[in-house]
Amino acid sequence: MAERMMTLKVARYRPEHGPDPYFDEFEVPYREDMVVLDALNYIKDDLDGSLTYRWSCRMGVCGSCGMMVNGVPRLTCSTFLREFDSEPIVVEPLENFPVIRDLVIDMSDFLEKLKEVKPWVIREKEGPVGEGEYLQTPEEVDRYKQFSMCINCMLCYSACPVYGQDPEFLGPAVIALARRYDLDSRDQGRSQRDEVLGVDWGIWDCTFVGECSVVCPKDVDPAAAIQRTKVSTTTREMLSLVWPFETRPRPAPGTTPP
Amino acid sequence: MRAEQQHRYPVYAKRPSRTWWVRTGPYRRFALREATAVFAGAFSVMLLLLLFALSRGRMAYEGFLRWLQLPAIVALSGVILVATVYHAATWFRLTSHILVVRLGRRVVPRSVVSFGLVLLWLALSAAVAYLTIWFAR
Repeated sequence: MAERMMTLKVARYRPEHGPDPYFDEFEVPYREDMVVLDALNYIKDDLDGSLTYRWSCRMGVCGSCGMMVNGVPRLTCSTFLREFDSEPIVVEPLENFPVIRDLVIDMSDFLEKLKEVKPWVIREKEGPVGEGEYLQTPEEVDRYKQFSMCINCMLCYSACPVYGQDPEFLGPAVIALARRYDLDSRDQGRSQRDEVLGVDWGIWDCTFVGECSVVCPKDVDPAAAIQRTKVSTTTREMLSLVWPFETRPRPAPGTTPP
Repeated sequence: MRAEQQHRYPVYAKRPSRTWWVRTGPYRRFALREATAVFAGAFSVMLLLLLFALSRGRMAYEGFLRWLQLPAIVALSGVILVATVYHAATWFRLTSHILVVRLGRRVVPRSVVSFGLVLLWLALSAAVAYLTIWFAR
């Protein structure tokens, strides 16, 4: 029996050959357990060694292999060929990012913005090591755990039309990670992050299209993170107007914040 | 403003699309949600016109009521009703994404929150309708 073949239409961009991207079509042998990344690996190994793309873990954890598959941002290692009824399957680099080569995008803008929100636990004063770790209850972990599942795959940036129109926008994953640390009972850096989030190109640029949460492979729900940050920063701002005399103290480690 | 992103190598950058909002189903639904806000605004304007007519006395008020009965205005009111209900319904769904309701250690599911909001809305509407009818007697 002849092997079943599937056609992939892959976007190519090779700056040394011309200023514009184009498509190449490849025939790939089909197996039921094959994902789009397997097909790309087949192309690179057997058909065209010059095809360039990023990948690493093959198990939906590293966040390297995000690409547009039939116009939707997906992790190609978790996107099975059997999902698609019609051919060719179109593979393109992630939308809204500059393309360096073929399917490889330039992620430096995302990495710069990620640094700006200080995605780490900030303490006003570090306690001595001898005092041990900052303890948390399971409930305190639950408050931020969902937002800590982000793998920086940038699919949400590709799905976000606001980021497409306004590259200044901090974007879904960065704000979700800022919220992850804001909700952490060990953290005391909320006011530092508020300065970065509260600007026009921060949380207020988001119009709640909501597609970032739909495409997120880890169910982080960045759209919810952004809207909840809008609510909590506004509430704090309003509270400080009626009660400007003191800022509410941060709860001590090991206690549930109000 | 930030400085324009500098690239160390040649890159291909697509121009932002002006018609992105018709590209996919979810984007079209988003555009519809935002566009129907105009009709919600139109309803507020009509309410303001009513108050304005009321403030100018009985003649003006009765004139306004006659204007409301013009076929074109009745049709417009129908469109405003449908659009405003759609707009409100989208926000009941979206609010459940923003509002986290906890019962003890458990988080109430989104569908329950949305449904609860709709129930609250119906209850308030019924209360307003009841008061209006009661005062009109």
